[in-house]
Amino acid sequence: MTADSAILRALGRRGLELLVLLVSISTLLFFLLRLSGDPAAVLAGEEADAETVALISQRYGFDDPLLIQYLRYLAAMVSLDFGNSLTAQTDALALVMERLGSTLLLALLALVITAAISIPLGAWLGFRPAARSRKWTNALVFILQGIPGYIVGLLLIQLFVVELRWLTSIGNQGPSSWLLPSLTLASFLVPKMVRIVAANTAETMAEDYIRTARATGASDAALLMRHALPNALLGATALIGTQFAFLMSGSLITEVIFAWPGFGALLISSVERLDFPVVQAAVFVIAVLVSVVNAVTDIAFSVIDPRLRTARQSV
Amino acid sequence: MSTQPAFGLFKRRHAGFKKPAMADAMLILGLCMAAILVVLTLVFGLNPPQSANTGSLMTRFKPPALDGYLLGTDQLGRSLAGRVAAGMPWALGVAMVATSISLIVGTAIGLVAASLDGWPRRIIRMVIDTVIAFPSLVIAVTVIALLGRGFWPLALTLGLATWPISARVVFAEAMSIVQRDYVLAADLAGVAWPKIMVFHVLPALRPTLLTMFAFTFADMLIAESALSFLGLGVPLSAPSWGNILSESRESLVVAPWMMLAPAAAIIFSVVALNLIGDGISAISRRNSGRAS
Repeated sequence: MTADSAILRALGRRGLELLVLLVSISTLLFFLLRLSGDPAAVLAGEEADAETVALISQRYGFDDPLLIQYLRYLAAMVSLDFGNSLTAQTDALALVMERLGSTLLLALLALVITAAISIPLGAWLGFRPAARSRKWTNALVFILQGIPGYIVGLLLIQLFVVELRWLTSIGNQGPSSWLLPSLTLASFLVPKMVRIVAANTAETMAEDYIRTARATGASDAALLMRHALPNALLGATALIGTQFAFLMSGSLITEVIFAWPGFGALLISSVERLDFPVVQAAVFVIAVLVSVVNAVTDIAFSVIDPRLRTARQSV
Repeated sequence: MSTQPAFGLFKRRHAGFKKPAMADAMLILGLCMAAILVVLTLVFGLNPPQSANTGSLMTRFKPPALDGYLLGTDQLGRSLAGRVAAGMPWALGVAMVATSISLIVGTAIGLVAASLDGWPRRIIRMVIDTVIAFPSLVIAVTVIALLGRGFWPLALTLGLATWPISARVVFAEAMSIVQRDYVLAADLAGVAWPKIMVFHVLPALRPTLLTMFAFTFADMLIAESALSFLGLGVPLSAPSWGNILSESRESLVVAPWMMLAPAAAIIFSVVALNLIGDGISAISRRNSGRAS
């Protein structure tokens, strides 16, 4: 199979998955909103009087049969019309898109930090796994793996903001305020990534061709750079693809802790206020983003690793 | 070698057996830590000391180990040690129910997918892949906002949002087990597929399920505390670890210790579960390596 058709297949598969995801999630939201009682009352808020509730009910057509409402809802979603935010009174999707850049910046910084820490550390750990210093480091990574990312965030704030007063922890105020949130988000992934890179490196180092290369007099550095690292990087790239959803979950909570102006924080505050148009738009954007990232890693894979093209053929 | 006891910890160590002994040690350490948690929950958690719920302004913000408060007091003068203990049933209870739901649903669907072929299997696999690719916390916060906070909404939501992870693992594992000779023999002997799945494949999944139970339990514990921290988990008045952490944020400057007790409780539990999970998986890998 050629690279092109592999890419097309990957795109087609991800496109179909995205469609299924969007339909099922919006269906879930649609019926949950109606199951949770009178949706008009939910949308109007706790303090609304009967008149407002009736007005909202009429405006959103909650009096129509359920099936009609559902079809109208799906049709509106296809045309990307999520309605206006109930609190800000502006287009819900536009509100979410405004925040996209901040969330992506944070995710990108976190990925860069994750790679910068876990690739060298993992390669070092996996290169000679039995060495004593490696064992202690492994134990340390193991304990770090048990610390939830958001607690890392709280500890970082305590240390750098409250005790040392070096950094700020609120919002996006330029590069110095990027450090703590992106470190926090990276801490969701780093221990996992270190272990994967170390395991891949150790596995490669046990291969016959490494012994052959060593016998021909290749230096440690050459072994690491030419054989162990490329394989380890492959595993790391795969992990980024599968863990992106996890990273998005992490960015929800990281953005709340640091009052970061991304759509995770927007989603949480909209959920708290039951601002449903914004919740739906945010969930929609997150679904599209996750699918795009997965499609891109799929394609990157079939370009980087020729074995996958033939492997996928046999499935 | 085949007479080696299941826990090789007390066996004389050969040079070549360092790794197995390490796996046993991890499992035993993890189980001991888990036992401590269970005992603390049964003794203090279900019957929390008076000081966990009532405090007075006279005793607010006492640092740890002062005036008889082991871990200090919070903004209302309640004992933090008591509150963290009272949070144990919430954390372990929600995680236990959520993990059970996630594993039971996931195993059932994974086994069904493994016994089907063609289109039905592909559809199930696509659903699994699709749900895994979506951030489960996003689903959870939205659903809980609608269903309301509380033990059952939280446990059900977490369980139902994470079953695809167990389903994918069970499916992959079951696919390799159905190719084993004894399954083939059962098939040839005319045993029906549902029976084969339940009586021949499921028992072989035990080490996988035990490992998954530990790791999923850890994930659920983190998710519960994270959601409570966001204010979308257990009721706001409940002394859950996430709620205490969230309250501690308002007193970071005056009472930095408030954060430490619940954070330590979460980390202790998660490390215990990771030790158990890694220990079981290393031991089962060693055993299957020996069998072949």
